[in-house]
Amino acid sequence: MNRLGVSCLLVACLAGPARAQSVAIEGTHSAGVSTEEVGALGTQVRVSGEAGETLRGLRYQIEASWGWRSEEEEGDFFGTAYPYGGKLDLMETYAEYPRDRGWVRSVKAGRYRTPFGISSASDHAYIGFMRAPLIRYGEYYALSNTYLEHGADVVIGVPRFTVEASLSKPADVGEAIRRDGVTGVFRAQAAVGSFVIGSSYIDTTPYLPDTFATGRSRFGGVDVRWMSGGVMLRGEWIGGRPFDGTSTTGGYADVIVHRPAMGPVTAFGRIERLAYDSIPPFDLYTHRYTGGARVRVWRTISVSAGLVHQAGQQTQAKRTALDVGITGSWRRNF
Amino acid sequence: MSLPLVVRAQAAAVVAVALLGTAHAGKAAGADVVNGRVRLAGAPQKDAVVWLSGTPSGPVVPRRIVLDQRNMAFLPHVLGVPVGTRVEMPNNDRVFHNVFSFKDGKRFDLGLYPVGTSKFVTFDQPGLSRIFCNIHPTMAAYVMAVDSSLVGVSDADGKLEIAGARPGRYEYHAWRPGAEIISGSLTVSAGREIEVAWP
Repeated sequence: MNRLGVSCLLVACLAGPARAQSVAIEGTHSAGVSTEEVGALGTQVRVSGEAGETLRGLRYQIEASWGWRSEEEEGDFFGTAYPYGGKLDLMETYAEYPRDRGWVRSVKAGRYRTPFGISSASDHAYIGFMRAPLIRYGEYYALSNTYLEHGADVVIGVPRFTVEASLSKPADVGEAIRRDGVTGVFRAQAAVGSFVIGSSYIDTTPYLPDTFATGRSRFGGVDVRWMSGGVMLRGEWIGGRPFDGTSTTGGYADVIVHRPAMGPVTAFGRIERLAYDSIPPFDLYTHRYTGGARVRVWRTISVSAGLVHQAGQQTQAKRTALDVGITGSWRRNF
Repeated sequence: MSLPLVVRAQAAAVVAVALLGTAHAGKAAGADVVNGRVRLAGAPQKDAVVWLSGTPSGPVVPRRIVLDQRNMAFLPHVLGVPVGTRVEMPNNDRVFHNVFSFKDGKRFDLGLYPVGTSKFVTFDQPGLSRIFCNIHPTMAAYVMAVDSSLVGVSDADGKLEIAGARPGRYEYHAWRPGAEIISGSLTVSAGREIEVAWP
């Protein structure tokens, strides 16, 4: 754990007497196999909570992740939101001061996920899908769900309309590690009825070596979420340039269904597209379709199965694959 | 109240109701407050819902009832409310939650709503509602809606407060997570603490 993690731990320890259930430790453990002849194991542990009277209102989170995947060269199985490089990684570790009055809604500093689009870990991990969207898996010339920032983030506005700005340095884990430099992210979000609509922009450094990828990496995107009666629709569309002379566009649309008659079963589906324009043969045009179900088998243990079919150029080892995973979670409040 | 989990025959055998010597009745302005303790096998039992019926109650001041979402958890873990109560469910967390109840009691799905906003659910029928988030499997809460305004939930020390109970003879019911409802009778009198216990 680096100095940042130790600092946040000190903040948590010095925060004084805590209110009931102000500190929680959570663990999530998972294992999976795919017909791409890939197996994976993963575990995440996070400590989160609210500081005591001396730092009233301050929230903190410290998260560590370990993941291992049997095949590193091909495929993105199990890469939804955490790295699978076989080592312990410090993930989101930050302190946040949320406010329920005034224009400033929250101020956050530390190590956090890049706040571009649909970006929180729980938006992508353990909801059933076992692969990140093509536009959010690090090796496909777009963005990565394992992008992390060292910096500060502020959210202003009212609950149903917020503007967020982040200024930071890249602190990535996983496959795509951006070069050192300054990163700016700007995001606006509005909630209208059951719709949540967002628009994001990022200006950062490329994750490829500067001998190959010159210039800045810049992307803009829109994201939409809607939910009613147990049916969630959501999606993102992005466009931009991973570095000089190239461009990437793409997006995904998800449907997640959990109706009363389905009991412990949640069904999910995804269609997605990625187009990376570059000099042949480095360009990439691909589509992918995913369908499956997650079943809560006992308390917090669930099993997921997903059938993935890729059209266009192939990034998976096999064009059609069946992914199966099991996940268990626990939580202790102090 | 016609709850399917009530095991009335069990009540007399398994519930000890004791009248202890501490005086708290009449503490709250405008309403009588009965203090009590809840125990399981002699140890304090938290998150137990106890409600009284059978005797006209005193005035109960309407309260703002909140089931909060903070730090990937519902707070409190257990709510006990009179039927007809409108419960506020704010999202005071860092992320979206999908709050729903599909199994028993009040069935609803609140969908996604942003941090800092609230939605409301009126529990208009008696019964136990199990509240979950479809995104975060460790998030769970219970709301027990009862046909009585005399209801309280025990804290971490097993202590309980029920507002509005005037002295008299009552039928009581008690529930805790993982157990069935137990019932019996007790007497509320000024300066006495009630005790409800599972063996």
